[in-house]
Amino acid sequence: MSKSMNGASSLYRLAAAAIASVSLIATPARADDAAEKFVAEILVDANGVFAAPDLAARNAGIEKLVDKYVDMNRVARFALGPYVRQASDAQMAEYLPLFRKYATTVYQSTLDPYSGESLEVTDSVDRSDRDFIVNSKVVNAKPGSQYADLVVHWRVYRAADGKQSIVDAGASGVWLAIEQQSTFKSVIANNGGGAAGIDALIRDLKSKLGE
Amino acid sequence: MAYRLGKGILAIGVAAAFLIAGAAAQGVVGDTSPAGETVDPSDIDNAVAAADSGAVSDPWEGFNRSMFSAHLFLDRTLLVPAAKGYRATTPKSGRRGIRRFLANLRAPGVFVNDVLQGEFGRAGETLSRFVVNSTIGAGGFADPAAQIGIPAHGEDFGQTLAVWGIDSGPYLFLPLVGPSTGRDGFGQIVQIGMDPLFYVRTPPADIARYTRAGVGGVSAREQFLDPLAEIESKSLDYYASFRSFYLQARKREIANGKVDYSDLPDIGEFEEFDDLE
Repeated sequence: MSKSMNGASSLYRLAAAAIASVSLIATPARADDAAEKFVAEILVDANGVFAAPDLAARNAGIEKLVDKYVDMNRVARFALGPYVRQASDAQMAEYLPLFRKYATTVYQSTLDPYSGESLEVTDSVDRSDRDFIVNSKVVNAKPGSQYADLVVHWRVYRAADGKQSIVDAGASGVWLAIEQQSTFKSVIANNGGGAAGIDALIRDLKSKLGE
Repeated sequence: MAYRLGKGILAIGVAAAFLIAGAAAQGVVGDTSPAGETVDPSDIDNAVAAADSGAVSDPWEGFNRSMFSAHLFLDRTLLVPAAKGYRATTPKSGRRGIRRFLANLRAPGVFVNDVLQGEFGRAGETLSRFVVNSTIGAGGFADPAAQIGIPAHGEDFGQTLAVWGIDSGPYLFLPLVGPSTGRDGFGQIVQIGMDPLFYVRTPPADIARYTRAGVGGVSAREQFLDPLAEIESKSLDYYASFRSFYLQARKREIANGKVDYSDLPDIGEFEEFDDLE
């Protein structure tokens, strides 16, 4: 589609083409080069955070990365599933910041086992010209260790203007936002669905965050 | 010594059965029953269910939630203390050895399922691993096969049924057995028959079976002490989170680790998202 040829995306393509010409290899321009590059840049920052020896510093570092790269409003809407259409403006105004806080704590605890390790991009899959899966793995994982066969996935969404963001992360086929949507839908449905259910979800998020 | 351990495990099993009955009688189990029985008939909820791409349905949610509560009760009173005790008394390398030993005992069952799925290359790997690890791997406590480049993989009859095109059926949770689906629960029963020890009907073999079941349960629980505690502490609905994580991981297991990204739900394709761009 022509959308992805616009704006920043074409800059990435130019950059990719430039790199390809320097290496003198006629690699065909793959649509996901920009997505892989985007994740590789994030991993450089993330590996710095994983190297921090103390938990508070790592958590602060991950929060910064999440704020910078994760499109939290998009993920928050996804997590509501089709109930997003039933949420009032007032409910969304209350829910979105709560979700940001909640999802950040999930990223912090999910990424903490990678402390002291570093991740590198291995490959990627295009789901569409706006939606990419970029895979990464732990560098020099010991055979037989918990990291040996582990694939860490990053879901990259490319907006119409070419701006890329992370919308989900997962390990070995298990995704965080998909779990969040499944759980949130369960909470909403089991509290009467609709507006009442969304209120219950907001209440549960608050109590989970200690607010 | 092994005999005593076997009896001990048996005693735990009997105690567990009483505890389930007791918990049910005291209403401990029923604390989530309104949740399970609430079926919102509005269109949106049907749409929600339909939109859940590739998701396994959970029509037995009320029953499953009760069983999950019973399981959590047993988990907290028996399994977690046993797993923590095991962690405290057995060094890391010892626990890894026991996991490998138990995995090696499962190899004949894995082999049968590799063959039934037509995965002859993987069947060969399973057979090679079993021979190598049972001999120079000190009866399975070490894993020299992985070091020479034959990595471990699991298979079970539920996965074979999936490969044969049988749908997963409804999600099913049973206390101490854990999460599964209609298909995979049936697969687990058939799987019992793929265990060579099942056909040895002598008292020592009985003890070995009970011991293996008990040690296997504690060993598996020990491995998941931290991740499950973390998931429970973060989750708004532990039952739903557990179900989602299990079903996602199971899908990948059935696909032999090859992730199919095409059936992931879209993130950010609803019309409500347009104002974000």
